[in-house]
Amino acid sequence: MSDLRFLIVDDFSTMRRIVRNLLKESGFSDADEAEDGVAALHKLRSSKFDFVVTDINMPNMNGFQLLGEIKADEKLKHLPVLMVTAEARKEDIVAAAQAGASGYIVKPFTKATLEDKVNLIIKKQGL
Amino acid sequence: MDTSNTHPAASSHASGDVHQRIGTLTRQLHDSLNELGYANQLRNSMSELPDAQSRLSYIARLTGEAAEKVLGRVEQAKAQTDLLADETRRVTASLIKDPVAAVAKGEIMNYLNDVEVIARTADEHLTEIMMAQDFHDLTGQVIARVVSLAATIETQLLQLVLDTAPSGTAPPMPVELPHGHLAGPVVDPEKTPDVVTDQSQVDDLLASLGF
Repeated sequence: MSDLRFLIVDDFSTMRRIVRNLLKESGFSDADEAEDGVAALHKLRSSKFDFVVTDINMPNMNGFQLLGEIKADEKLKHLPVLMVTAEARKEDIVAAAQAGASGYIVKPFTKATLEDKVNLIIKKQGL
Repeated sequence: MDTSNTHPAASSHASGDVHQRIGTLTRQLHDSLNELGYANQLRNSMSELPDAQSRLSYIARLTGEAAEKVLGRVEQAKAQTDLLADETRRVTASLIKDPVAAVAKGEIMNYLNDVEVIARTADEHLTEIMMAQDFHDLTGQVIARVVSLAATIETQLLQLVLDTAPSGTAPPMPVELPHGHLAGPVVDPEKTPDVVTDQSQVDDLLASLGF
């Protein structure tokens, strides 16, 4: 069981629960949730997290904006950000990578996909 | 409508009349839209309708697939739990009858192995059932876009109704289109008093015009 702390950002509570349960099944039981980028930034700046899993299409602050804010913040820019989204356009995937995303998963996805991506990122970043 | 007793000539005349009236209405609508400068706006919205139809078809397909997936997994899980219940009854009876023989013949060990396998597969079924719920997120996004399109068309049609209302039936509120275009979504209601800001205003307005 890992002691890494995850922040799951999605405006749909169903998807947050799914991701949270999948992470738990994969050995990552420490996770919190936020419904959009604004709430996520607030949590990231007031508590310690090791990993961010975020949707893109969200009200108030979308996933790209959240990614930009994280990468522009000296205290947060080290955080790996995994995008989990229904946006399947190539330009979005390229843009996410260029903006510093650590991974990009297109919905709908499988448990294995999420687990593989998370473990790959953890390994790459030496977490 | 029962037309069995209608004289053929009269029926032909009636259908021709209806056709003529529909054609006239279509021409009037077309000319009015052109005169009002709304043709392009409405045409743009209407051109999005096939897209809305495909989005709704996508929702139907996704929810259907999710339901099938969940039902399939539930049926498999129920068959396995039924099997487990039967096996439990059989092994229990065997233990009561002759505990030593039951252990010696490996019945207990086999049973425990079955329990482990069924528990593991039941967990897989539950995970798949959980994953099937992702349709809520995906269809929710699509529904939001279709609702947005419907709202745009509603706004444009409402404005059209306002501008074409016969004198004396229009409500007292001034109606003026900024720059000759439809207002669309209300971004700043404080600076755009000639637009409605909620559904009750839409309802009241339509009611005052007799709709």
